[in-house]
Amino acid sequence: MTTEQWSRLSSDAFNAALFAYLAAMVVSFAYLAFRKDRLHTIATVIGVIGVIANGASIVTRAIAADRTPWGNMYEYSSLLTFLMVLGYLWLVEWRAKVRTVGGFVYGLAVFTMAMAVSFFYVGPTALMPALNSYWRQIHVTSMIIASSLLGIGCLLSIVYLIKLRSEQRGLARVRSKAPPPIMGGSIDTSDPSAPPDYAGAGDEPVGSDEQGHRIALPPSATLDALAYRFIRFGFPVWTFGVICGAIWAQQTWGRYWGWDPKETWSFITWVIFAGYLHARATSGWKGVRAAVVALVGFVSLLITYYAVNLWIGQLHSYSGAK
Amino acid sequence: MSAPDGPASSLRRSVALVWRTLRSMRTAIILLLMLAAASVVGSLVPQLPNSPGRVAAFLDDHVFWGRAFQAAGFFDVFGSWWFVLVTALLFVSLVACLVPRSRAMIRAARQRPIQARELDAFPSFTERRVSSSPSDAANAAARILRRRRYRVELDPNGAAVAAEKGSLREVGSLVFHWAFLLLLVAVIVGKGTGYVGHATIVEGYGWTDARLNYDGQLRTGRFFSGNFSGTQITLQDFQDAYRETGQPMDYRSSLVLANADGSDQQTAEVRINHPMSFNGIRIFQYGFGWAAMVRVLRGDQVLFDGPVVLGQDTSTGGNPLAQPWLGVVKLSTLRPQVGIALAVFPDGEAYLRSIASGVPQPMTQANAPFIKYQVWSGKLLDNALSGLDTRLMHMTSTGLVGEGWTVDLDRGCAISGPSGDLPGSSKVTCPHASGPNLLTMSFPELRQYSTLQISRDATVPYVLAAAILIVLGLLPALYVSRRKVWVRARSDGEGSILQLGGFALQRKDRFDEEFASMVAAVTEAAGAAGDRAPEEVSTP
Repeated sequence: MTTEQWSRLSSDAFNAALFAYLAAMVVSFAYLAFRKDRLHTIATVIGVIGVIANGASIVTRAIAADRTPWGNMYEYSSLLTFLMVLGYLWLVEWRAKVRTVGGFVYGLAVFTMAMAVSFFYVGPTALMPALNSYWRQIHVTSMIIASSLLGIGCLLSIVYLIKLRSEQRGLARVRSKAPPPIMGGSIDTSDPSAPPDYAGAGDEPVGSDEQGHRIALPPSATLDALAYRFIRFGFPVWTFGVICGAIWAQQTWGRYWGWDPKETWSFITWVIFAGYLHARATSGWKGVRAAVVALVGFVSLLITYYAVNLWIGQLHSYSGAK
Repeated sequence: MSAPDGPASSLRRSVALVWRTLRSMRTAIILLLMLAAASVVGSLVPQLPNSPGRVAAFLDDHVFWGRAFQAAGFFDVFGSWWFVLVTALLFVSLVACLVPRSRAMIRAARQRPIQARELDAFPSFTERRVSSSPSDAANAAARILRRRRYRVELDPNGAAVAAEKGSLREVGSLVFHWAFLLLLVAVIVGKGTGYVGHATIVEGYGWTDARLNYDGQLRTGRFFSGNFSGTQITLQDFQDAYRETGQPMDYRSSLVLANADGSDQQTAEVRINHPMSFNGIRIFQYGFGWAAMVRVLRGDQVLFDGPVVLGQDTSTGGNPLAQPWLGVVKLSTLRPQVGIALAVFPDGEAYLRSIASGVPQPMTQANAPFIKYQVWSGKLLDNALSGLDTRLMHMTSTGLVGEGWTVDLDRGCAISGPSGDLPGSSKVTCPHASGPNLLTMSFPELRQYSTLQISRDATVPYVLAAAILIVLGLLPALYVSRRKVWVRARSDGEGSILQLGGFALQRKDRFDEEFASMVAAVTEAAGAAGDRAPEEVSTP
């Protein structure tokens, strides 16, 4: 194999490692949010794949350059991430059985590798210049993941509102029929906060005479909690994605923030979901009100994702056209 | 307090009310949502800093709304006084929220977990009979809770343990909010004291960082001191590379940089995505184009000698690389005044292929370049602008000039230059004439220019640090749950009875599992000391 082939192999392995770490980071955060053991297993597997690719990149780089592969900042960073993730997997995860910090480690590895590629890349031979689309790729990947998570959360909120309405209607019907007291007590139909608990308590559908129109949905309380989890997971990813976008913009356009429509709308969406999380933490804003905020956030998300691109074209161009 | 309703007291009460309002989280969120609403306006109404042309068009099309929007500052939302006011209020509100919370957090960090008396009131509670003595049982519980990374306080006298976990949540939340505050401050200071502008430099020419040398709009922050760096930038060479498809691949400017006094001279290369910092300013590759070197003489008198920076009219659509580049030479000292409109074709061969095939060919490199010119005579209306307003002018001649030619502008024919025709048209030569009034134009060469974006923003590192802290603070603030657990043991026969109680402020469903496994671990440790198996005590 020629030097160039070796160095290309090294770059490919580097990219594979970078994206494996990125995926491992996302899955680790998903594990933090949902605490499903399977997620942790997946994160570990992807992390191990990343370490192997990272190691392969270092070895092939050494062959291509015909020297020890820690000659410059790029190679140093690559080695650093390799040791960092390897150390994490071996010492923290395997020996100490601590599972919750993986996302941070992978995040740091992604950051380090992306910085290395963006600012410190030096080819061992004359390579095709890898245009710094790394931040863009990380940014785009994060934004897509965050958008889907937030989108799912918002959809759950909408379903929650529908379910809550049907539960309230069912309750009103129950109340109008004045049910006979059940052994040892009666259904408390006077408390307006009762519906979720009431509906959640029994699996028997309320108003079963309308069986044909009833949609089998989980109880509203479950939907509400699930929506919150998705949004809580999506929000930091969104934040991370916006920051990566700003870093990329700083590199490409010379300003990290210029209030162009895409940036503006990503900020608006961020603010609305920040409002949602604060609302969840405030008493009296849980449930319906928070779900309405999520609904507004969903509209904003769609505008950020589609409308900005459809209405306004690219503002920035590198041609000399004025 | 002799006059509780006096003016001073009511003033104090209103101040207190304002302060209380500012301190509430709801105020901060409402202010944040107001910023979001303002941003919506900013993204829907054209903004002066981003697209001045669209603002002008809007003002022409909608007279009433244009004036109303102008009065409200809608054309520069992010620079308007009310946006600044809301930001300032948000800033105050955040500080008012965060200072007491930070104090409380520090106080809580110093305090040891407090013992509880009535454990059976907690959402999770259980009692177990174990074989070890109360103090041994409490010690075992403390050991197990410590292993689970709880902060543990063991009561030395009574056999009681108080433990808590998850204070990182509040730390993370505070880090996030303080970092957001830092971000706001850093952005405002950085943008406020900095500037952004564009410098157009022709190959072989120099440029100095000073107010007058910026082309087009120079944006300075409202606290900018007015001191430009005076950095000297010389463009040695500009290179643009394209794929075979005509897709741009890379643009790079080779620069020589020096301080205002000429010291610290160094060469540098600025490419797309590869900006550089020098002397406190950042230099980015922004744009590029062609510049025709042109010399216009009347007799022996030099009327114009230098580069004409060319631009393109993109309104016609199509591939801009296949379009000619336009520029004007204005001779305002002549009577009548003269304007020469230039249409430059950088690649004559590609132009010829376009004519032959009917498909526009990109002209990406200088290859037998030529200029189509029109000479206009009359009154120049727009001396300061780059275009040519011909309303008070009439065309006197038109013709072609190739690289290295000199043409007679009055007659529209070539006087001198390399032999041979231009691609696509034959050379029209005229006998050389001389005289004090002969107007000639020569086109020695075609060069490229590079447009660099020059900016100063001193707080970028702080903004980045704040952004990283925001993410780092956000994760524990969202994912860590706060839990408290208490254990008490009282002697009962040979062994003791353990009471365990606790609660979680977040993730309550998950805490039930954790609590059950904790109870099992503690009872096992406390029961293993004796031979009697631990058994559950039925709660009364």
